[in-house]
Parts: sequence; C-alpha cells; structure tokens
Amino acid sequence: MSETATKRIALDRSSREGAPQGTPPAARAKPRRSVSDRLFAIWGILVLLFLFAPIIVILVYSFNTGRLLIAFDGFGIDPFLTILNKPAIQNAVWVSIRSGVLSALFATAIGTLAGVAMARRPGKWVGWFLAVLVLVTVTPEIVDAVSLLPWVVFLGQDLGITIFNDGIFRLVVGNSLFSIAVVSYIVRARLVGISESLEEASADLYAPPLRTFWRITLPLAMPAVLAGGLLSFTLSLDNTIISSFVSVSGTTPWPVYVLSAVRSGLRPEIASVSTLMLIVTLLSLVLVAWVLKRSGDSATEIARTMAGS
Amino acid sequence: MPKLRLPKATLALPAWVWLLAFFAAPVGLIIWYSFGYKPSIFGTHANDILSLDRYAEALSPTFFSTFSNTLWVGVVGTLACLIIGMPVAYWMAVKVPVAKRGLLIAAIMIPFWTNFLVRTIGWQIILAPQGWLSQGLQAVGILDGPLEILYSRSAVLIGVIYNYLPLMILPLFVAFDRVGEPLREASKDLGAGRLQTFLRVTIPLARPGIIAGLLLVYIPLMGDYITATVLGGAKGNMAGQLVAAQFQSAQNWALGSAMAVILILTILLSAAVLGLIIWLATLPFRSHYRLRLGAEA
Repeated sequence: MSETATKRIALDRSSREGAPQGTPPAARAKPRRSVSDRLFAIWGILVLLFLFAPIIVILVYSFNTGRLLIAFDGFGIDPFLTILNKPAIQNAVWVSIRSGVLSALFATAIGTLAGVAMARRPGKWVGWFLAVLVLVTVTPEIVDAVSLLPWVVFLGQDLGITIFNDGIFRLVVGNSLFSIAVVSYIVRARLVGISESLEEASADLYAPPLRTFWRITLPLAMPAVLAGGLLSFTLSLDNTIISSFVSVSGTTPWPVYVLSAVRSGLRPEIASVSTLMLIVTLLSLVLVAWVLKRSGDSATEIARTMAGS
Repeated sequence: MPKLRLPKATLALPAWVWLLAFFAAPVGLIIWYSFGYKPSIFGTHANDILSLDRYAEALSPTFFSTFSNTLWVGVVGTLACLIIGMPVAYWMAVKVPVAKRGLLIAAIMIPFWTNFLVRTIGWQIILAPQGWLSQGLQAVGILDGPLEILYSRSAVLIGVIYNYLPLMILPLFVAFDRVGEPLREASKDLGAGRLQTFLRVTIPLARPGIIAGLLLVYIPLMGDYITATVLGGAKGNMAGQLVAAQFQSAQNWALGSAMAVILILTILLSAAVLGLIIWLATLPFRSHYRLRLGAEA
C-alpha cells in the first residue's frame, strides 16, 4: 500500500509541476482514477437514482388512464384532460398559487427589512432575534400547526377580528413563519459580506436614509431578496401540515386537497397536476439559480445560499 | 438638520411583531392548554383546574410506545442519512470536477423542492405489494411472495430517509468543499494515508457541517407527520400523528397540547444526548492542535 501511495504522490507531484499555472484541479486529478474513486461515483449515482425514483414514478403514473392512481392501466393523456372537468382541483391549485404569491411577497418584505437591520445595525438584539429565528426553524411544523389553529380561531371568532376567518389570510399567516426566517438568513448573509462603504458614501453626499436604502442597500441585496422570495414561494406551495390545520373549507390549497385524497382514494389526476406543478417549481428554481449566477456566485455559493447557511 | 435617531432594530420591528404574534403567542397558548383538561364531550379544553395530569396521560403506555417508536425512527433515520449521504457529499466535493458540481447540486435539490407529499405518494406506489418493485423482485427470485413492506415501520423509515437525505447531503457538501484540496495534499505529503487524512483532517474540519446536517435532518424528521400518514398505516405511527389526532378527531386540545410539548422536549433532549454521545465517540480522533478554516489565508 505504501509503495503505491508513494508512486501516486510522485505521479501527482510531477503532473502538478508539469502543468502550467492556473490549471483547474480537475485537470490534474485525472491520472489518479482509482477503484475507490469509481466506488464513490457508483454510490453517488445510485443515491441520485434513489432520489429520483418516486419522481419518475409520479411522472409515469400521471399518464395512467386507469381509475386508481396506484393501479397502472394504460398510457394516455386522459388524466390531464380530466383536470379540466374538475373545478375542485383547479380551485385548489389556484388557492395555492394565490396564497403562495401573497406569502412570498409578504415574507420577502418583512424578512428583507429584518435581514438588512441584522447586517447593518448590529448589536445585542441580533443575538436575540437570531435565537427566535432558530426557534421558528427548529419547531416541528405539526407544533406550529396545532398551535396556530386555536390561535386564529380565538382571534377570528372570540375577538371578532374578521380577517382571521378569511381562508387566504390564514394560509398566508401559516406559510409566512418559516419563509420570514429563510429570507432574513439569506439577506443578512449577503449584506454581511458587502462593506458598508457605499452606503456611507451615499450619506456623505447628503442622500436621506430612505433614498440610500432604496438606491444603494436594496440593489446590493437584490439577488438575495429575489432568491429568498422565490424560495418562500416554493416553500409555501409545498406547505402541507400547517395549511391542513388552518385552512377553511372553500379555500383548500393543493397539498391539503392531495392529503385528503390520500385518505379517500388517490386518482391519476393527482399525479398529472403534480407533474405540471413540478415543471412550475423547476422553472422558478432555474430562475433563482440564474439570478444568483448573474450576480457572480459560484455553484457552491448558490448551494450555500439555497441551503440557508 | 437635527436627525431623528431611531432605535437600531427599527427595520426588524415588523418581523419581531409578526413572529411574536403568530409564533410565540400561539406556542405559549398551547403550553397553557397543556396544563388544563377536556371538560366534556363537546368541549376541547378548560383551564380552571391546572395539573400535570395531561402529561402523565400522554406518557401512559398507550401513547408511550408511539413516542419510543418516533425516537427509534428518528435516530435510525438520521444515522442512515449520515451514512448514505456522507460518501455522496464527499464524492461531489472532492472527486467530481468543479464544472459538473452545479449540475449535481441541482440534481440533489430537485427532489428536495418537489412536493413532499407527492414524493411520498411515489414511494407508496413503488412499495405496493402489486407494484413493479414487488413483481420484479419476485421474478428475479429474491422474494417468494408479494412485497409486504408498505404500511409498516420499515416503509416509514425508507420514506423519511428519502425525504430528508438532501438536507444531509447539502451541508456536508459545503463543509467538505470548504476543507479544500491544499490541506488534504499537505496531510498526504506529511505521510498520512487516505483514511488517516479523512479521519484526522477532513472530518474534524467538516464538523460544523456534519452537526448542521444531523440537526437539519433529525429535527424535522422527529416532527414528521406526512410520511407516517402516507406510508405508515396503523403499525408505523409517529408522534406527529398522535398530536394531530388529538386536535382533529379526538378534539382533546389539552392532551394534544401536552403531547406537542413532550414532542418538542423529546427533540431538544435527545438532540443534546445524541450530541454528547457523538462528542464522546470522536474524542479519540481529536488532535491537540486546532486548525481554523479561513484563518490560514
């Protein structure tokens, strides 16, 4: 083992010394493709297949012409046509999109302000605020759900604040919690990395604070704001647990419709709508990646931003 | 012109107010409910007599088995995610050429952003006794009868591993990527083998990412409700369903609240215990000298 190791180091050294300056690491990693490298690649591809398996199944089953989703009968676009005759499904998707857009706009506005404040007005309060955000992030969704239900019922019916009886508003409240945390993290992370000198220059040139915010701070934070907004939109579209507790009959969002279908019987249209929604989600993700890439982030930084760390 | 000095946190005020009103207040409310009781068939909660009886009820043998089941799925699922995800993250960060990484990250993220519920329904189709997997395994001769895994704890385990694996791979990838090639090369130049480099250089430096991954998987997994509902059936119950059932069907908010509080406490306590165990287990691998990433530049 030691002999081959020495050889490998020697080979690696020679290839590195021979290579011109600035060669990407990929180029010099080529000569040492060992068995373990191949095992890693095989494992990685197997895991990717595992991750894609149910999605491929849903894509295939969205063309199932049978009556039940789970029993594949034949291949056809019938389930996609069925959607047209099902106002309940169309309504559910529409509710999801409306509440998703509203929650995304709201969470992005509030979260951006909080993120800017954390980055530009540091102090002891930031620690407290981050602690609350972490608590929001780590609380299981089911706990948020069961606690929001009695709370909105109390506010809406006992206190008579009628907006809390509105289905869309309830969904926006439920979706907003996690989204606000995500947007705040991302915006803060972006602005902490940028020096405050431009804002100081703007203030020196007699721009009032509000104009500095609009013309300097916000444009600087824009990639993070857009990324955060689109992430909150996809998170809201996906929100099942909180939505299923707070939603009012008549304004059932799509995931809640699917959850009730799990209990009463799944039909192929569910897969077809999911296929269409997957395309929408993918397009918005591509948009996020494109916006981040245009602002010059590398793939790793994009992953870091999206993972919220 | 005299300037109006606003307090530092003014911009964060809307977020403070919103989170206090719709996070802190409702969670506080259910903590209050958990000390009450269910007054009658039609009442959901009452707080005129305060006691810890609901906590005793929630931990009685009927429900306790569900909590221990949840803990089992949580711990085994999180460790499985770590074991499956670590080689993938290492492969992406170390072995794959930089140019292809973006595509792989996107591939890991796509399932992550597909509807959680729909992905889980996909597993319901795959694991069904009459499904393709079952028929395939029977045709090859691995199985004698149909696959009997759906609606069991094993199905829930597969489902949660699947659903939370991307949350493990991403932070691990970022952590391994940060360690960087030069440090590994230096370790090899100083005579360390591959395994030694991995255990003494890569793992200690990637520790924050590993901890982040474990928490990102473990916390939502413990509170999971959907996976168990879709794949678990009667045998694969988890605590999230228990809480939900008290609010939705049994209409016993007092008991449901106590269960929710126990669930949060279980998550926090077990995460602390797990952290302690990992800390103790890695003690022999810890070196006396600590290298801080970013400080060497």
